[in-house]
Amino acid sequence: MEMFRSNTVWYIICQPPTACGYSTGQLRFRGVSQMPVAEGKSVQQTVELLTRKLEVLGAEKQGTFCVDCETYHTAASTLGSQGQAGKLMYVMHNSEYPLSCFALFENGPCLTADTNFDVLMVKLKGFFQSAKASKIETRGTRYQYCDFLVKVGTVTMGPSARGISVEVEYGPCVVASDCWSLLLEFLQSFLGSHTPGAPAVFGNRHDTVYGPADTMVQYMELFNKIRKQPQVPVAGIR
Amino acid sequence: MADVLSVGVNLEAFAQAISAIQALRSSVSRVFDCLKDGMRNKETLEGREKAFIAHFQDNLHSVNRDLNELERLSNLVGKPSENHPLHNSGLLSLDPVQDKTPLYSQLLQAYKWSNKLQYHAGLASGLLNQQSLKRSANQMGVSAKRRPKAQPTTLVLPPQYVDDVISRIDRMFPEMSIHLSRPNGTSAMLLVTLGKVLKVIVVMRSLFIDRTIVKGYNENVYTEDGKLDIWSKSNYQVFQKVTDHATTALLHYQLPQMPDVVVRSFMTWLRSYIKLFQAPCQRCGKFLQDGLPPTWRDFRTLEAFHDTCRQ
Repeated sequence: MEMFRSNTVWYIICQPPTACGYSTGQLRFRGVSQMPVAEGKSVQQTVELLTRKLEVLGAEKQGTFCVDCETYHTAASTLGSQGQAGKLMYVMHNSEYPLSCFALFENGPCLTADTNFDVLMVKLKGFFQSAKASKIETRGTRYQYCDFLVKVGTVTMGPSARGISVEVEYGPCVVASDCWSLLLEFLQSFLGSHTPGAPAVFGNRHDTVYGPADTMVQYMELFNKIRKQPQVPVAGIR
Repeated sequence: MADVLSVGVNLEAFAQAISAIQALRSSVSRVFDCLKDGMRNKETLEGREKAFIAHFQDNLHSVNRDLNELERLSNLVGKPSENHPLHNSGLLSLDPVQDKTPLYSQLLQAYKWSNKLQYHAGLASGLLNQQSLKRSANQMGVSAKRRPKAQPTTLVLPPQYVDDVISRIDRMFPEMSIHLSRPNGTSAMLLVTLGKVLKVIVVMRSLFIDRTIVKGYNENVYTEDGKLDIWSKSNYQVFQKVTDHATTALLHYQLPQMPDVVVRSFMTWLRSYIKLFQAPCQRCGKFLQDGLPPTWRDFRTLEAFHDTCRQ
C-alpha cells in the first residue's frame, strides 16, 4: 500500500464545450447567448487559455496526470425479485496514487484498495458487470505554483471531449474548510470571474482530515454531471 | 637616475661587506686554530710562550680590524628597506620582470584589502555589540579566558522543573498538544502539534529554546529509526517561511532571568498560527501573496501579516 498524501484539497469545474460557461457546484451558469458559440472556443483552446494564464502566474509544468472511471452495475441475476434497480459502482484510478484503486458508490462509502482490485472485479463478473462504453477519463498537465498543485485536464468519454476539469490542491492544509477562502482567492487569480462556489466537501464534516477518497468523490460527481449532459455535436470536438 | 645610482653604490658596498664578513670569519677561525695548536716548535718554554702570545695578539688584531671594516661598510650599505611601509617585501618592487611576476602589485592590493577589512570588521563589531543576540545571562565582553567555569544558573535547572513548566503550558492551551522526550541526555525535545495545522519540533537546552522546525500536520517528523528528525526542513514553502519566523521569535523573546516566561511567550505566539490558512493579512486584506498565506505574526498583537506587509 502506498503512502497517501492526505492533504489534498481539490476543486473541480467543468465546461461543456457548447455552453462556454462553467457549470460549477452552485451552477454559476452563463447563458449561451452571453457567450456565443461563434467565439469558437473548443475544449482544447480553453485548456490552452487556462494553462497560459497559469504560466503567466508563474506556475511550473510538472508532468501529466490522468484520472479514469469505469461504471459497474449489479448483475441482473443477483437482483431481488422486486426488480429494484441495482446500485451503480464506480471503479476509479488516479495517477497521483499509482498503486491504488478506488471503488465508490454514489452517496455511499469509498473503498481504497490496491490495484489488484481490478483483477478481483473480473472474478466478480457474476455480481458486477461493467457498463458498456462507460469509461470516462480526464487527462492533462500538472502545474506547481508555490505549494499549490493545479491540474487542468480534458474530460473524454469514448472518442469525444466532453469538458474541462480543473483541480487545485493546496498541500500544507489538511482541513478543507480551513483554506477555502485562500483557495478561492487563488482560483480567482487565473479563472477570473468564473470562480465556483464551495463544493460540498468544504461545508460538511468540520475539521476532518482531507484524504484521497474525498478527491475521488469529487471526480465521480463531476463525471456523473458530464455524463448527464446531452451529447455534443461533433463540431465541438477537435 | 639617482635611485639607480644609489642602488649601484649599495650593491658595491654589499659586495665589499660580504668579502669583509668572509675576512672576519677567516680571521676568527685563525684565532681558534692558534688556540688549538697551542705552544710548540720552540726549544725553550719562554720562547714558546712569547711566540704564542705574539701570534695570538696578531690574530686578535686582525679580527678587530676586520670587524671595524665590516662596521664601516655596514653603515655604507645602510638600511634600504627601513623607510618602506612593506619592509623587506618592498624589495619585490625592484624585480625587473613585472609582467611575468606581478607579485608586488598583487601584494599592494592584498594589503589595501586587508586594511579595509580590518576597518569594516571593527565597525561591524561595534554595531553588533550594541544589539546583543546572546540569550543566556553571560555578560558580553568577558573574554573566553576569564569566563567563569560554572554554567549560568538558568542552564542547570533540574529536569523535573522543566517538565513542570512544559506540562503547565500544555494545559494552558487546549488546541496545542506538547509531547516531551529526552532522547539524548538531559536536554528536552518537544513535539508541539497545533490543531490540525502544523507540527513544531523544539530543541531545548534546559529551559532555553535552541532550535525550532515547523512542518505540516501531515508531514513526517521522525527519522527512519524512529527519532525526532531535527534537521530536515518542511517540503512546503509556507512552513519553511514559518520556521524562519519562529527562529526570529526565539531571538525576540528573551528574558535571561525568567526562562519559563520566555517559553510561555513563545508558545503563545506560536499558537496564533492556528489560523494560518484562515486569517487574511491585516494590511493588504488578502490571503495570498506570491502564493503564500500571511506567515508573519506580530510579536505583541499576534496579528497576521504577509512577510512583505509587516512594518
